[in-house]
Amino acid sequence: MCADKTFDADVVIVGSGIAGALIAKQLGLSGRKVLILEAGAEMPPDIDEYMNRFFTAPIKATEIPYTPELFTNRKLTDPKTVNAGRPTVLSLTKDSWLKPEESYMIQDGKKLPFGSTYERINGGTVRHWLGTSLRFVPSDFEMQKRYGRFVDWPLRYDNDDKGIGLKAWYAEAEKEIGVSAEVKDQEHLGITFDQKYPMPAIPLSVVDTTISDAVSDLKYDGILLKVRSTPAGRNSQPYQNRRVCAGNTNCIPICPIQAKYDPSVTLADALRTGNVKILYCTVAYDVVIDVNGRVREIKYIQYKEDKGPRTGSDSVSAKAYVLAANAIETPRLLLMSMDRKGVANSSGLVGKNLMDHPLYLAWALMPKGKEVYPYRGPLSTAGIEDLRDGEFRSERAAFRIEIGNEGWNFPIGDPDTTTLDFINGLNVSSLNDVPKGQGLFGHELVTKLNGVLTRQFRLGFLVEQSPDESNQVTLSNKFTDRLGLPRPQITYDLSDYTKKGMAEAKKVATLIFDRLGATEFTRAKRDNPSQFEWPVGSGQRIDFYGSGHIVGTYRMGTDRSSSVVNADQRSWDHDNLYLVGSGTFPTVATANPTLTLAALSLRTAEKINQALTLR
Amino acid sequence: MSDLKHKKQGPIAQDANERAIIALTRRTVLTGAAATAAAAVGPVSTQAAAPTRNPQTDKQLDLFLELSAVLTGVAKAKLAPAVDPIKIKLEYLAQAKKEHAFGQLLDLFSRNKGAPNVGDIICNKSEPNVRFLARSIMLMWYLGVWYDPKDLRRLAESPKPEDEKVLPVVISSKAYTQGWVWRVAQTHPMGASEWTFGHWATKPPELDRFIKSA
Repeated sequence: MCADKTFDADVVIVGSGIAGALIAKQLGLSGRKVLILEAGAEMPPDIDEYMNRFFTAPIKATEIPYTPELFTNRKLTDPKTVNAGRPTVLSLTKDSWLKPEESYMIQDGKKLPFGSTYERINGGTVRHWLGTSLRFVPSDFEMQKRYGRFVDWPLRYDNDDKGIGLKAWYAEAEKEIGVSAEVKDQEHLGITFDQKYPMPAIPLSVVDTTISDAVSDLKYDGILLKVRSTPAGRNSQPYQNRRVCAGNTNCIPICPIQAKYDPSVTLADALRTGNVKILYCTVAYDVVIDVNGRVREIKYIQYKEDKGPRTGSDSVSAKAYVLAANAIETPRLLLMSMDRKGVANSSGLVGKNLMDHPLYLAWALMPKGKEVYPYRGPLSTAGIEDLRDGEFRSERAAFRIEIGNEGWNFPIGDPDTTTLDFINGLNVSSLNDVPKGQGLFGHELVTKLNGVLTRQFRLGFLVEQSPDESNQVTLSNKFTDRLGLPRPQITYDLSDYTKKGMAEAKKVATLIFDRLGATEFTRAKRDNPSQFEWPVGSGQRIDFYGSGHIVGTYRMGTDRSSSVVNADQRSWDHDNLYLVGSGTFPTVATANPTLTLAALSLRTAEKINQALTLR
Repeated sequence: MSDLKHKKQGPIAQDANERAIIALTRRTVLTGAAATAAAAVGPVSTQAAAPTRNPQTDKQLDLFLELSAVLTGVAKAKLAPAVDPIKIKLEYLAQAKKEHAFGQLLDLFSRNKGAPNVGDIICNKSEPNVRFLARSIMLMWYLGVWYDPKDLRRLAESPKPEDEKVLPVVISSKAYTQGWVWRVAQTHPMGASEWTFGHWATKPPELDRFIKSA
């Protein structure tokens, strides 16, 4: 299938995730012709197929509703057989993470696993985001100036005469996504607002209010802790013809009623402008630069079946090009372009400074009589945000605290694990005190199971990872996908700065549990590769998880020698090339990246439009 | 800070709880127009077998349901309501019948029905084929998945069960959404909420509303 040569694109966008979708919509509304190249499968007319895959999955992994299928003949699909493969959390175990036949990303294994994954499908990774839509705090943009650490962003939270401000763009992004929150809950740590949120806050859960009561006068490091409603891309009122949240407790991996925003909403809007076209199952593999240093065309390969043969290849040209393929696939594309000579990389930084929010997970059981009734409501409705900033950032990583509503689902795969324990006489959960092998049944089973499930809760600490050039994405020299393209290779570690932050997180978790009178059950799992010893030599081990926040690999800056793009997300090297998404973040801060990358995308859309007008 | 009056039910949560209670006593809501993901469930899964008016089959089904109620601790009228458009019981009976030990299990139950310790006899004292089949059936009602009884035995006898690679099979989409563990936890399956906006702000109805006969 060839590109429709009669569709004369002004702009070509690689990737139909949130960044690509937002830019396509804005440009389409401005009358620009936009062609999106999406590596993965087409947007379905409804989500029945995704829901069915979810319901019938024995493991409800993050990626499970989506294609390419994770399993083939009850084993993890071999990535070399897939045209547009992607990583899965299921290949992060000790048995899988170093096996190329199970892990799409080639983890070099020298230090730690990189624990975050993504989608290559219509709508991209934000199809399975939680919905958390926090703004960065002003300090996040000035880590070097305020704390002598890392680098400053080339823009700020507030508009000032010295720089560019994101505040107004945050408001635009909140409107596009449909964010529910109250300004009065969010005005702290220097965050100010010029506009209200589009919808009122989502009600707090029993878990939230119980914790809130317990920490009402609790201080840590002299900072008062407060439970705050989390701004979320989730309807508290009907919005964009989508329904109100019904508390399906399934935001990750999929909201059954689309009360949670996902980028298919924006893609549909973009298509409705009549100016946007999407080619699916279309994998861009070469960004071709002409003698003048401008992008001349993007070459792509097409396929029909996920594991079937290619059906064609072609190229497309436009006036401007946007790479929106996420912070692993975009560097991969840049590095493999021009016969692996690489593109947009005079700084040498493409692929470097890979960051995540390593997540510290802590879980506990409330005392009897103080049930919190989890597994209800959205996966998270509130958090503690007060430790996201402070002088301590010159010494150790900051973090935010996410309160979970889903009991011990994340830590131990409950309620299934405890149910299996009680019925089959096991004790994987640490909750079963009957002799091994003895099965519970009848009334005793019901009351015991109810007794523990209704008291479970967990806290997640999203820790700011330091940017380190040695954390990077490169191209594998050995392993390819079915199209013969080199798979991404990852080198990853956590710095002492980051580990110190995680160690503080551990202390805060225990402090909060003590306040609640809860019994802590957090423990590092045996043989877990995503684990480190802290303090060094103590024998104490800390587990960490990826948050799904992939950041930093084509950073923005004020100087072409130390960054890949400028504040407009325009390549220093090729003036008709824009790189968008969280790959441009110079630091990861502590807020989930989606809202910030959405704000930046909307700003870049305006810049592209202006640039096209000037031609 | 936003309103923390969780000790007193607000109007939204009160309404949500009222409607949820109606939903619990009328299972038809799952197939009704309350268009949550449950709507995707009906057409997708397949029924095990059409009910026949064969007295033998009915008797076996009835015994199976009695056994299931005793083992799971959930009332028979809740596992298989009189008005039951979902009929998960038929899928489950068909699944359980595939095992050789099924007849033995029903026999053992039949003979000991009156005994106060019938659950213990079946779940802990019976010979392994029967014992682990009983446990598979319980897990089926609770989680909507089928664990091979041989795998359950291997787990029960393993020194490190968390290291064993055992994966159950989800019986159907419908089975997942009919899982009783969620109701025992006074909630709904993740991904299939029949409840309304704001219900999570207050306590759910009492456990008895979920698992006892009306």
